[in-house]
Amino acid sequence: MNSLYMPKDSLIHSLDPRTKMIFVAFVVASSFIMNDPALQLLLLVALFPLVVIAKLVKPYLISIQFLLLFAVLIMTVHGIYNPIGVTPVFEIFGGLTFKYESMVYASVMSFRILVIGTGAVLFVMTTHPSDMASALVKWKVPHSFAFILLSTFQIIPIIAREAKIVMEAQQARCLDVKGNIIQRVKNLVPMFAPLFIITFMKVHQLSYVLECRAFSRKGNKTSLRETNIGSLDYSFLLGMLAVLVFEIYLKLFMMGSLQLTTDALLTYSLIGTWVVCGFMLIKFLFKRVQGKVGGVN
Amino acid sequence: MKAQTNNGEGAETMQPYMSVKNVSHVYPNGVTAVKDIDLDIYEGEVVAILGSNGSGKTTLVKHFNGLLTPTKGEITVGGLNTKKEKISKLSSLVGYVFQNPNHQTFLPSVRKELEYGCTNLKMSESEMEERVNKAIELFELEDKLEDNPFDLNSSQRKEVAMASIMAVSPKVIVLDEPTTGQDHKGCKRVLDLVRMFKEHGHIVVLITHDMHLIGELNCRTIVMNQSRKIADDQADIVFSHKGIMKEAGLQPPQITSFANDLSNLDSSKTYLTVDSILSWIKENKEKKEEAVQIGSGS
Ligand SMILES: Nc1ncnc2c1ncn2[C@@H]1O[C@H](COP(=O)(O)OP(=O)(O)OP(=O)(O)O)[C@@H](O)[C@H]1O
Ligand SMILES: [Mg+2]
Repeated sequence: MNSLYMPKDSLIHSLDPRTKMIFVAFVVASSFIMNDPALQLLLLVALFPLVVIAKLVKPYLISIQFLLLFAVLIMTVHGIYNPIGVTPVFEIFGGLTFKYESMVYASVMSFRILVIGTGAVLFVMTTHPSDMASALVKWKVPHSFAFILLSTFQIIPIIAREAKIVMEAQQARCLDVKGNIIQRVKNLVPMFAPLFIITFMKVHQLSYVLECRAFSRKGNKTSLRETNIGSLDYSFLLGMLAVLVFEIYLKLFMMGSLQLTTDALLTYSLIGTWVVCGFMLIKFLFKRVQGKVGGVN
Repeated sequence: MKAQTNNGEGAETMQPYMSVKNVSHVYPNGVTAVKDIDLDIYEGEVVAILGSNGSGKTTLVKHFNGLLTPTKGEITVGGLNTKKEKISKLSSLVGYVFQNPNHQTFLPSVRKELEYGCTNLKMSESEMEERVNKAIELFELEDKLEDNPFDLNSSQRKEVAMASIMAVSPKVIVLDEPTTGQDHKGCKRVLDLVRMFKEHGHIVVLITHDMHLIGELNCRTIVMNQSRKIADDQADIVFSHKGIMKEAGLQPPQITSFANDLSNLDSSKTYLTVDSILSWIKENKEKKEEAVQIGSGS
């Protein structure tokens, strides 16, 4: 309830958390093996059906927006200013030219962010935190360590809620939170001091609560939520293995002859991210204006 | 709805200090926490807000200093529209004491804690001195000034949080569940403080589940239920209204139920405190004695 987990009934949700953890590792590995913009774009596109299967298209798009913002910044700034670039590809106004090498570099970097982001979102949104913990325990990870991970996931929303209350409480003490930059930096103290104290108190309390419920008892613990590796998991794992082998093969033997990355691809992907970001910006502004207009009535 | 003041007179001609007009608030997640509330609060009033958990009390009072702005309707405080003013400005008019002092206090000494609000308002040194000293006197904090608030016990810390809000000397003071978790002495102290605030010319808005406290104050009482205001009257009148009490799931102070159930008592009056019942009994006794004397005299 208070994590990023989105309960849905789908194939991805029913996979064992261990499979999904391996999947995340696989995605990270792939994004480094295929350090070529075209192949990475392919990877990103290939991951999308999984998002569809998990029935998470809308929340996925919402969360990936922010990563896309990074991508645009990296691609634009690096594309123009990164000194490794020598071959000009195209020029925009004012003599700013995008260079081939730097565009490749920037694309690889930003696509990697998107690919890993997609993998992570898929994992976090489809895995119940306690399933993750019990899966870790099955991997012989010490129970307390699994719990640390689990409670970290769960304490983030709690801290966020407390932060909001602290901010309101300080505003009630005439603190102006909408000041200039210097003012805002100064405001960090009245914001974070109570927040730290409260968080420490909560964690301290939690440790007592855990002790009261025999947390440190030795031996195996039963879990209410059972996770099992089934045939679905095996086929998924096999699929991943196959793709990984293919990727390595591609990387080792075909890289010389295969040249997918072209000027056009780079340019279009750059313009593509611009368009999407522009669209997001317009939507954001539209909402703002709508809020203002609505507020007056 | 007729506006009432504690002294009962002149309310009709007076401008309300705070005016809530047809206000609703819908949280971003779609929960309607406050619905169609109309409320005028006048100079010199003590207003208690009652209601079960989740009935929207906190949401309503967060509108008074602009922490929340109404999604429908509007609120004016001291002639200012809360939608158009900064929260820091409104907070100098309406002091809001949070339920948990840990959200509010963070400075290493009580004195610094008291000065903090004034420094935020960029007050002159002399004015700050004056206001802080007034708060110190009011809360009798002279010998605790150099203590660290975190070394004090919970009721003292609550009091420091309250004092730090009072130090900017707002016209209105909002107390969110001030007696929750307090021992008897602490509750008594809250009662005294509320009376003192009133004496010093502040308006007090009090959210509480403590019927005894309201009984002692016998102040104007607003009852909230499921985001709506269902009653707004003097405490004794609200408490005697069985329908409203039942709807809001409230239980009047024991002494009031007791008095209501004693059928031979004067049913036109509601008794809120032990003292009021005692004086009624004394009165009756005297009457009886008088009657006996008259009887034996003839
Ligand atoms: N920040 C928020 N976002 C969404 N919903 C909220 C938020 N704060 C409160 N609510 C909801 O609004 C309703 C009213 O809450 P509110 O805190 O105003 O009640 P209350 O009368 O103060 O209750 P209590 O006696 O428990 O303090 C509740 O249903 C609550 O779940
Ligand atoms: Mg509340």
